[in-house]
Amino acid sequence: MSKVTKVWVFAEKNTALAQLCAGGRQLGEEVSALVLGTKEEAEKAVSYGADKVYWLGSSKQDKMLEDYTATICELLKKESPNLLMMQASKRGKHVAGRLAANIGTSVIVDAAGIEIAGGMIQVKHMVYGGAAFRVERALGKTTITTVGPGLFNALPEDNSRQGSVVEVDFVEPAGSVKCLERKSKKGAEVNLSAAKRVVGIGRGIASQEDIKIVEEFAGLIGAEVGCSRPIAEGVNWMPKERYIGVSGAMLKPEVYIAIGISGQVQHMVGVNQAKVIIAVNKDKGAPIFQHTDYGIIGDLYKVLPALKELIKTNNEN
Amino acid sequence: MNIITCYKIVPEEQDIVVLPDRSLSFARAEWKIGQYDLNAIEAGMQIVEAAGGKVSALSVGDKQLENSKLKKGVLSRGPEDLYLVMDEQLENSDTFLTAQVLTAAIRKIGEFDLVICGEGSSDLYAQQVGAQLGEMLNIPTINGISKITPEGNKIIAERTLGNEIEVLEISLPAVVSVTTDINLPRIPSMKNILAAGKKPIIEWDLSAVGLQGVTKQTEVISTLAPENVERKKVIFEGESEEVIQKLFESIRKELL
Ligand SMILES: Cc1cc2nc3c(=O)[nH]c(=O)nc-3n(C[C@H](O)[C@H](O)[C@H](O)COP(=O)(O)OP(=O)(O)OC[C@H]3O[C@@H](n4cnc5c(N)ncnc54)[C@H](O)[C@@H]3O)c2cc1C
Repeated sequence: MSKVTKVWVFAEKNTALAQLCAGGRQLGEEVSALVLGTKEEAEKAVSYGADKVYWLGSSKQDKMLEDYTATICELLKKESPNLLMMQASKRGKHVAGRLAANIGTSVIVDAAGIEIAGGMIQVKHMVYGGAAFRVERALGKTTITTVGPGLFNALPEDNSRQGSVVEVDFVEPAGSVKCLERKSKKGAEVNLSAAKRVVGIGRGIASQEDIKIVEEFAGLIGAEVGCSRPIAEGVNWMPKERYIGVSGAMLKPEVYIAIGISGQVQHMVGVNQAKVIIAVNKDKGAPIFQHTDYGIIGDLYKVLPALKELIKTNNEN
Repeated sequence: MNIITCYKIVPEEQDIVVLPDRSLSFARAEWKIGQYDLNAIEAGMQIVEAAGGKVSALSVGDKQLENSKLKKGVLSRGPEDLYLVMDEQLENSDTFLTAQVLTAAIRKIGEFDLVICGEGSSDLYAQQVGAQLGEMLNIPTINGISKITPEGNKIIAERTLGNEIEVLEISLPAVVSVTTDINLPRIPSMKNILAAGKKPIIEWDLSAVGLQGVTKQTEVISTLAPENVERKKVIFEGESEEVIQKLFESIRKELL
């Protein structure tokens, strides 16, 4: 693949930074990383694959990452890289949008692929909740895109790599959003994408109490429990980290079992890489049945207990 | 507090048809108010109901905005008036162009304290317009807001991120994008719907907001459905012991 001249990368976390630097190496002649953190962290970016590091300084107690937007913006206008890849976090998308507004472009978010064809950068991303992939390009000098985990694999850290570190002066932001307090959210981190078996809970479940029924079932078959978006954001019965789909977790399990999930495209794109999909839904016309290997049209409150008994009996024998 | 809530008209996802060449057809699609923009309207209503003021709704787009059911739909959720910028140039607008037109419309509307956007549109979900809009209006802007408490000439807001919650003080005027769990949007009553028919609607085109000739900053090369994953589609029906036993037999090697 041909390369563009200058690629810039920016991430909140080191794991993401390492992946973006690796991606930068594939796409550009020269990779520059923007780093907010200690000098050591700035230098670390070189070992991930950066040729140059724009060091924004150590993160300050009274400042949010967002406060560095004006600083980055000034650099961006001066240097006009061909491509800026940012971590696809909430913060990353916000800062990306503000930068784009300043340089007159749209951010192409959540890249599922980045290619250079005839010197032009083309970004592939999901649209219409996953019903389609769109290939799009920015018309201006700089393409800004956000990149989620896994699009690029980090290179092995190479401490012998040489690169330069350029200290960048802070530009005082105009507006004022002040962070008064940070509370850490309770709830253990879950890693659904590592699970071989996942059971998904949908709005077919009648109450928060009843989630237990599904959890017990999942426990019996050694599966993790995930859910549809409305369960996590809407009725808030389960933590957001557990919802599956285009705007949540994207999974590739061996088996996915959908319990009371209708099977809208936004949910299904998160599991259609599963080897086997099983569904329980009482509505014959539910779209989920178009995407299942084995399904049962029936009430989950009758099907699950019966299945549980069968599994238990089987385990005993 | 004077609040402007922004929304987008989007095709009903379930009506989008994948054609044999994997392109998408919207020919049979109903259009609706973006699901997450309903949270933005509701957030605006809850603020003025608690602290006084007025909510105006604003959308920019093409002829889909003419749909009178949708105009009523927005107004029945509480806003006192509705501003629309309609222009064929705005068909399939990108986020930069959308934010640019919203900026011009808001400047023309004049007085405001707070602009509220949804987290993202239901169709493209780029989650960009709020941030771009704030920057273009040159006022504070932030995303991910899950709680808003007005406090004089500022708001105190909670912002939900991966594993933390930030409590923010935001000086006004400002633009915020709200998350879907900030509230449960109300269902308008018959009375609300009837009253909506009498509320003022102000319609402009691009030249009315001083933006004739503006164009998109991105180019779409292709939009294609992914290749379908073939599934076995072995479907059982019923809840009897017998049926469930059959299901169990066919999935036992997956479960055990
Ligand atoms: C921009 C955007 C992004 C989105 N992103 C995501 C995403 O990432 N993930 C996601 O999941 N959704 C997402 N959604 C939402 C998505 O469109 C659907 O609304 C959602 O997936 C539906 O969840 P559900 O299947 O649990 O609920 P419903 O659609 O309400 O389905 C409930 C199902 O349960 C069945 N049922 C009811 N009672 C029983 C019973 N007793 N026994 C058996 N079955 C029963 C019903 O027949 C029905 O099919 C997104 C939407 C938008 C607009």
